[in-house]
Amino acid sequence: MNSEANLTRPAKVLVTKIGLDGHDRGSRIVAAALRDAGLEVVYTAPWQEIPTVAKLAMEEDVDVIGVSSLATDHLLVPKLMKELHKAGLDYVKVIVGGIVPDNEEQDLLDAGVARVFHPGSDMADIVGTVQMLAGEAQNDTARQL
Amino acid sequence: MTTAGLSEAGQRLVEKILEGQPAALSRAMTEVENETGHAAALLAAVQKATGRAVTIGITGPPGAGKSTLVNALIGEYRQAGKTVGVIAVDPSSPLSGGAILGDRIRMAEHSHDPGVFVRSFASRGHLGGLSRTAGRVIDLMDAAGWDIILIETVGAGQSEVEVADIAAIKLVVSAPGLGDDIQAIKAGILEIADILVVNKCDQPLAEQTKRSLKAMLKLKQSGSQDIPVLGTVATTSEGLAELVSEIALQDEKQRRGDNLVDRKPRIRRNLAEAVGQLAKDRLRQNQSADIDALIVALESGETDYLAAAEAVLDGGQTNREIAATRLEKKTGS
Amino acid sequence: MSQNEQFALPGFEDWEAAYNKQLPDGKTVRNRSGIEVKPMYTPADWDVEEYGDKLGFPGTAPFTRGIYPTMHRGRTWSQRQLIGLGIPSDYNKRLHRMLKAGTSAISMIPCNSIYRGLDADQIDPVLLGTCGTIINTVEDMETCLDGIPIDEISTALNDPLPFTMLAQVLAVAERRQIPWTKITGTANQSDYISHFVANHMFYRLALPGSRRVLMDHIEFAREKVPNWNPMSVVGQHMQQAGATPAEAMAFTLSTAIQNAEDCLSRGMELEDVLTRFTFFFDISVSFFEEVAKFRAGRRIWARIVRDRFGISSAKAQRFKFHGQTSGVDLTRQQPLNNIARVTAQAIAGIFGGLQSLHTDSFDEVLSTPTEDAARIAIATQNILREEAHLTDVIDPLGGSYYIERLTDQMEEEIVALIDKIDDLGGMYKAVESGWVQGKIGASAMAFQDRITHGDETIVGVNAYQVESEVELPVQPLDRPAPEDIEAFIENLADYKRRRDQSAVDRALDDLAEIANDNNRNTFEGVVNAARAGATQSETIAVMRAELGFGQPLVVA
Ligand SMILES: Nc1nc2c(ncn2[C@@H]2O[C@H](COP(=O)(O)OP(=O)(O)OP(=O)(O)O)[C@@H](O)[C@H]2O)c(=O)[nH]1
Ligand SMILES: [Mg+2]
Repeated sequence: MNSEANLTRPAKVLVTKIGLDGHDRGSRIVAAALRDAGLEVVYTAPWQEIPTVAKLAMEEDVDVIGVSSLATDHLLVPKLMKELHKAGLDYVKVIVGGIVPDNEEQDLLDAGVARVFHPGSDMADIVGTVQMLAGEAQNDTARQL
Repeated sequence: MTTAGLSEAGQRLVEKILEGQPAALSRAMTEVENETGHAAALLAAVQKATGRAVTIGITGPPGAGKSTLVNALIGEYRQAGKTVGVIAVDPSSPLSGGAILGDRIRMAEHSHDPGVFVRSFASRGHLGGLSRTAGRVIDLMDAAGWDIILIETVGAGQSEVEVADIAAIKLVVSAPGLGDDIQAIKAGILEIADILVVNKCDQPLAEQTKRSLKAMLKLKQSGSQDIPVLGTVATTSEGLAELVSEIALQDEKQRRGDNLVDRKPRIRRNLAEAVGQLAKDRLRQNQSADIDALIVALESGETDYLAAAEAVLDGGQTNREIAATRLEKKTGS
Repeated sequence: MSQNEQFALPGFEDWEAAYNKQLPDGKTVRNRSGIEVKPMYTPADWDVEEYGDKLGFPGTAPFTRGIYPTMHRGRTWSQRQLIGLGIPSDYNKRLHRMLKAGTSAISMIPCNSIYRGLDADQIDPVLLGTCGTIINTVEDMETCLDGIPIDEISTALNDPLPFTMLAQVLAVAERRQIPWTKITGTANQSDYISHFVANHMFYRLALPGSRRVLMDHIEFAREKVPNWNPMSVVGQHMQQAGATPAEAMAFTLSTAIQNAEDCLSRGMELEDVLTRFTFFFDISVSFFEEVAKFRAGRRIWARIVRDRFGISSAKAQRFKFHGQTSGVDLTRQQPLNNIARVTAQAIAGIFGGLQSLHTDSFDEVLSTPTEDAARIAIATQNILREEAHLTDVIDPLGGSYYIERLTDQMEEEIVALIDKIDDLGGMYKAVESGWVQGKIGASAMAFQDRITHGDETIVGVNAYQVESEVELPVQPLDRPAPEDIEAFIENLADYKRRRDQSAVDRALDDLAEIANDNNRNTFEGVVNAARAGATQSETIAVMRAELGFGQPLVVA
């Protein structure tokens, strides 16, 4: 697998969609690619509420959350970051994939998003990044006993 | 190893689990699922608090509506003021080891409810419809104070009998139109049922499925004639009230004088897992001459794996002798 | 292939030998639908004897060459650009600008909150109006259409069932004393089946309720809004979700069959209803395949109407379709390249014989299209039509050995899939069981694999990448002003205070009653609710409560 990814156990990832749009071709393909790379993927229907995503990440103890946004739902991601912080889930890495205008990408990064993937991104890059981030999340000191 | 002490952080985690903090439970589940160095001590520390939860196993062929039924059961128990924990197991891909954990999609109605805790597990190659650590994970959830624990197995239809050990009440779910109806739930799975559920009763052939199930039960030994066969429509919660009261009946039967559940089967299974794991670990590390001798004996065909394994388990010192006598016995008979 | 043997083509073998010699390991080429494409086609691939049966002439069955005798020589296609952003007054301003610029047909895209059946006071304001216009009430619709002659212009509404937007338009017409018979246009999103298959966004009601409400809508329109096209069968969602062009056509035709059968069971006069069926497709950049897809689709539909439904009227057999260039083909990398892609897609649609066309803006993958980019998209159509003379000859690719052979092969693929869906009990059942979704999911995955492995070239993505991209002038993002949104929400609250609440309650109670009575028409109730002042969300909520919420059927 990815030798740089410092995984201590199978990576666990939540692939979800927040907001209003329901186009899920992208999130399905990414979820399948992650599975095929050996990751464990919790998949949800579109339109998740932000507090629900945080609760779900907590219950499933995921390492990474991937949010797919093809319309304008990425505008809600800063709120998701706040919610994760409130829930004590700062170690969970968040990536966003989809149509995000350049000038709004920076807002997402400023809010703590680890990486934004645009249409046409290389699948291997997405998978590798998720594994690397999952490794980081698993080794976060906040999670050690 | 099992009695190894906990770090301060570990002790705090145990306290929080016992207080019912869901984030702590979730963290501990990860330790147990991955059998980390802390898992055994965590489990030991919560053991005394277990035995209160009603554990309900839900098994049956793929697409029978297990997850949807879990969703409906959550609704019923929440209405009755109970908290509900769910453990949902999905298969891992045999090729990549990865998994898509999709059961909770059907339970989305309750995903924001703090009185519900859903955790998905990948089977990680473990057969029998569960993940290897499912039994231990249930202990954690039980100790954390969840009133009802629903366990959804992988949908494979035949050999998910493992759930029989770890859940007190076993629901076997079937539905009309799943191919050769009854064929879908055969071989061993009927025997473990405390309640048979025919889901999707809104569909045309439901009555027929019910009838053939009943007939099939009659054919089995007389005891199982008492197994109730209930119809449900999980999507609309039809028949759920009856199902819940039937579960309550079964639960009552199983409670002991102290109102706790007899967890011996679950403990036995957990023990078996622990023994197996320990044996494996020890054997991998063990450089003793006895083991070397057994390996030589296996290599030359002097003994077989079963006999050698028995030799390892039945005593450490005289493996070679045991192996030899064992082989004699076998060839003799 | 037996045709090959019958034909002796002098020189063919020499060519073949030369070809094989120069290209000893030329690889097999397959189009997106999986059909193997040969390096060259000859008269041996196409039997001209079959001309009458398979092609005929434009305007005559089986319409392979076009549904009207004059096709684009007579009337070119409608330029229907979808627009919709911000609040109703924004939309109205843009509409007036477009009408001045010569647009002849209007369209309306509501905000995603409306697709979800939510009003402005029910969602995070940051999302409001970012994808379409916020239209919650009849008053909002009045503002949208202020000064627009709705009795003279055709209106396409992206209005999923239970069709609250049309109800609002009808209420506006009534207020302006315009008879409903003058309202023309299309319910672009009436195809609930395609929503369940491919596009979760439009979920409103559970499947059985959706089925009934569509029939109510069609029945109501045939009686009271006779120039409205209540049924648009949508292949676009499915192809966008990953269906191959052949699958998209097959699933669309199977959906049309299902709806036609449902109309029959309702006791409607099918010949009359079919004249009001329209289709809506994605046009990918797979050029010849798309042309063949449309030619085959026309022929198959005409035969279905004739043979399956026994209707001989040409009007009912005509396969009228709107095409939209495929957004899935567009790339974020080197975005100006998208203008070339859209051009190729548009030509495929034009040669495919479409009646109406939407060309995507090149910046659609970057953000919501800017007005400049939208203008280039329109200009592309004008250039193709008037400078490139694409419309001088009807069905200009007809008679190409390749196109005719490919049309036949696409037809075979499509018909085989339609047969399969018949075996599954029809499209409704095939979708309910998840079969169609599984098929599309597998095709989406397979196409992604081809891209990943470089079997499918995407310029700028897996080939011809460049270090530094052309700098695009930075466009201000078209996001509604927060103060406008705030005012809109306030206005909604005010509207709710002003309206006659007891009339609203009565209308909604009545709607609930109608929903529970299969002998009454739900759309009638929806129109009455709009007239009485109910918001779209209130109306949909009642329908959902009575007929069930539309949950995803297949998710993972
Ligand atoms: N008509 C009808 N459909 C149902 C009913 N219960 C579940 N379904 C549908 O059956 C399909 C499968 O349901 P699930 O709950 O995912 O089945 P499952 O047994 O959990 O499936 P796996 O986890 O994949 O083994 C879904 O489309 C449900 O909506 C029911 O009572 N009636
Ligand atoms: Mg399930």
